[in-house]
Amino acid sequence: MWAIGLPVCSYTPVAIQALFLMRSFYVFVFCLLGFCRVDAQGVRLSGKVVNHAQRPLSGVIITLSGTAATGITDTQGDFSFTGLPAGDYELVTALPGYRQHHVSVKIKTADVYLNIRLSPLRRQLQEVVVADNHVQERKATAPLNTEIVTPDFIQRHLGGSLMKTLERLPGIKTIGIGSGQSKPLIRGLGFNRVVVLDKGVKHEGQQWGADHGLELDQFAAGDIELIKGAASFMYGSDAIGGAIDVKPPPPPPLHTFGGSVDLIGKTNNNLYGTSFRLYGRKQHWFFDTRFTYQNYGDYRVPTDTVYVYDYAVNLHHRQLRNTAGRETGLHLNTGYLGEKFRSVFYVSNTFSKSGFFANAHGLEPRRVDEALHDASSRDIQLPSQQVNHFKLINRSSYVWNHHQLEMELGYQRNFRQEFSHYVNHGYMPPVYPDTMKIPHDLEREFDKQVYSANFRDRITTGKHVITLGINGEYQHNIINGWTFLVPAFDQKTAGAFGYDQYQLNEHVLLFGAVRYDYGQLQLFRYSDWFPSKTSSGEQQYLVRAADLNRTFHSLVWSAGMNYNREKFNLKANAGKSFRMPIAKELGANGVNYHYFSYERGDPGLSPEQSYQADLSVGWTEKKWSVQLSPFYNYFPNYIYLNPTADHDYYYGAGNQVFQYAQSSVMRYGGEVQLKYRFSEKFRTEWLGEYLYARQLSGDKKGYTLPFSPPASALINLTWTPATGKLFRDTYWSVDYRITAHQHHIVPPEKKTPGYQVVNMQAGTKVHLSRQPVLVSLQVQNLFNTRYLNHTSFYRLIELPEAGRNIILSIKVPFFFQRDSQPGVAPGSN
Amino acid sequence: MKRITTSTLAALTILLFGQCGKDKNESVDTTYPEINITAADAFPKQCSVIKRGETIVFRAQLSDNVQLGSVSVDIHHNFDHHTHSTEVENCNLEPVKTPQSPFLMIKSFPIPAGLKTYQTAIEIPVPANVDAGDYHFMIRLTDKEGWQTIKGLSIKII
Repeated sequence: MWAIGLPVCSYTPVAIQALFLMRSFYVFVFCLLGFCRVDAQGVRLSGKVVNHAQRPLSGVIITLSGTAATGITDTQGDFSFTGLPAGDYELVTALPGYRQHHVSVKIKTADVYLNIRLSPLRRQLQEVVVADNHVQERKATAPLNTEIVTPDFIQRHLGGSLMKTLERLPGIKTIGIGSGQSKPLIRGLGFNRVVVLDKGVKHEGQQWGADHGLELDQFAAGDIELIKGAASFMYGSDAIGGAIDVKPPPPPPLHTFGGSVDLIGKTNNNLYGTSFRLYGRKQHWFFDTRFTYQNYGDYRVPTDTVYVYDYAVNLHHRQLRNTAGRETGLHLNTGYLGEKFRSVFYVSNTFSKSGFFANAHGLEPRRVDEALHDASSRDIQLPSQQVNHFKLINRSSYVWNHHQLEMELGYQRNFRQEFSHYVNHGYMPPVYPDTMKIPHDLEREFDKQVYSANFRDRITTGKHVITLGINGEYQHNIINGWTFLVPAFDQKTAGAFGYDQYQLNEHVLLFGAVRYDYGQLQLFRYSDWFPSKTSSGEQQYLVRAADLNRTFHSLVWSAGMNYNREKFNLKANAGKSFRMPIAKELGANGVNYHYFSYERGDPGLSPEQSYQADLSVGWTEKKWSVQLSPFYNYFPNYIYLNPTADHDYYYGAGNQVFQYAQSSVMRYGGEVQLKYRFSEKFRTEWLGEYLYARQLSGDKKGYTLPFSPPASALINLTWTPATGKLFRDTYWSVDYRITAHQHHIVPPEKKTPGYQVVNMQAGTKVHLSRQPVLVSLQVQNLFNTRYLNHTSFYRLIELPEAGRNIILSIKVPFFFQRDSQPGVAPGSN
Repeated sequence: MKRITTSTLAALTILLFGQCGKDKNESVDTTYPEINITAADAFPKQCSVIKRGETIVFRAQLSDNVQLGSVSVDIHHNFDHHTHSTEVENCNLEPVKTPQSPFLMIKSFPIPAGLKTYQTAIEIPVPANVDAGDYHFMIRLTDKEGWQTIKGLSIKII
């Protein structure tokens, strides 16, 4: 459907071509890194940036055209570039709320010092033109296909979770359960194939599970960078499908003390919530705290009856029984921001508790006490899940000559519990023994503790920006509960990388990177707590997982170029990525009764490898712009859970055998974005995405991969009327999403019909005082359309997606003390 | 550098304009196998009653569009009413009770290779000393590609 379907050959010559390309790029990368001689002979260009009141401006992004160099002003407004060869340069400043400033600089042999005064944007005249261009800048210099989302976007498109909010972007989908839990799919790859970074440290939860969400508070997020495509060279194993980098909000402006209150309400699941922020900063020291609370009831679907297999389940008030939940988030960021040295501590704790749809646990139909469940739509009965995620992160940086040293240290603990009534399956005893230490309703428990450390040195020298770094992580995982899925394990990983960005000329920026990783995974023995009947009729406590020790090595690389002309831009990138097998893939040996499956790991799996070629071509005119981003991806050994034809009655209690296996896989697809501005007030945007995946070998040769999102397009129309002085930045916007059917399926999936959904957004900034109050209104699924989402957890039992949902959110900033400079409220830019 | 440019261009051309015939994915099997218990002699059916001490014969018509895989039978108690059958009809359940020595039988049966239809005739002896009450009779059928169809029948053992 649409113009997004890129016709591509699906036979092996493409793969051969791709491999050939990889080899060429290997040579290229080494050449690039090889001739990076550090040239300390050049000239120094430095200066100071101040505002109209002569106060120094910090956080100003300074770029030098013709080089790869970018810098940021410190708290004194000072910046400097060293090692510049003689030549003509243009220096450009960028700071939200201020006009962009261009200075031409001629560098010969002497050092140059500049005094730059920035004038604030006159907001009345500049309403439509968004002053902030850090997003464009970052996109132009990022090596991979990158989308950047600001807190404004989150406010406008607020979904049930942070990942759900991001789903509007082309190429991003989610695998979700209920109204509050979802995890990201980037171009069809998810789970452990996408890395989520939170404040520079890899977020580690239970990524492998489809019924688990991601423990992030969307109110506490700053800018979010989404990298579509293999990014292992930057983030290590798991970034094979892409990365989502959730940045903290920028520190508060100098000499301020203030905060904000967010109020949120949703009609579909009767959610109410608030997020309260309080921050303050002197010169160097700051604090930033936040408390978020959300409470929601069962969500509603546009139908009175759902069919779990052939059994009709009547829904009370069209509510999915027992899908209510609560969430809290506590955050404290504090630290020192000096001229050269910065060190910030981030402490956070997120907690959530939510129910699973009571009439089915997994795919298994359940009989329920309807009177008990329907008495309240807000209570959480069994089955349910509860997760607490604690994080302590320190981020420090030090600027020394042309070195920028950065460090992140992190500790996190993810504690997840799943509760259900004890139901004996297979050979479990009919009555739960009272001698058991495990609570009778604790079905599963995962307790993960993670220690992480990253060190980087960013060296700016001449036309090169070289980043050298190392990462390390140690994980300790223990399990509990009366069912078994994944054994307890310890995991150690370490990686070292080098990355060079080289400004070839005014238009061409080249990238090259290599990375080496080492990983060790140690799985611990698990045996059943109940005996099973063997083929000889004996009773035996089955050993589900044996002790296992595996080590992995990997060398990956990436190379690419950016070509930027005034109207034309091109980004090309190719690379190799990898992923270490996870504990579940190596050590699973248990029955997932809720899926009628017996999952069997393979202790001999090799690390997954991926070769990817990416392209992004764009053209920008005054009134319109177009961007096309195709990709091609080849996996020689993709790891997947293969449903076989066999049943196993010994280890599998009569269930179908799902065996972890590896096969070669090719995938291609892309996204297209078209923007057109009819007038100052009207604009339209067309987003499209397409993905095709095919297994080229193995038992499922010819089939696609699980959770392949169907093609879809989004047509947006936005009206930004001039509404006077009191109401500013007013917008009315409508999203029309057309999703094609998905007939490319693999066992145990079902074909999903296409659907069309309309969402609406409206909002304004009310200028009652100096700080505007932000009001946003959203209507999701305007026509209360009944549809199935192919990547939803509940797809297999035919549960439709949520019906109409009206979301109102209000943000009220307040100040006790503020600087005289006309800034923008931190976090709201 | 020139070689890279050429390779890149070649790859791009293939990516953008390479039209190589229709999608071959359509040829893969995406059909679930079927368990048919509508025949007059099929047993058990939803709400069937089985006597303790007798041997029943599990008779069902299994079929697939390409090739059958294997079939598995699981008989377990439903005294606690926690799980539900997959069927439309609701059998009258006895009150919830605690199991003493419930009947449990799990067995998988391979189906001879290359068959599209298969008629089961599997003898299942039900011991005389098991608890009477509500039970589930679960049939799991796969085809060669790994598609699985499940039928969960509510039965009574008296």
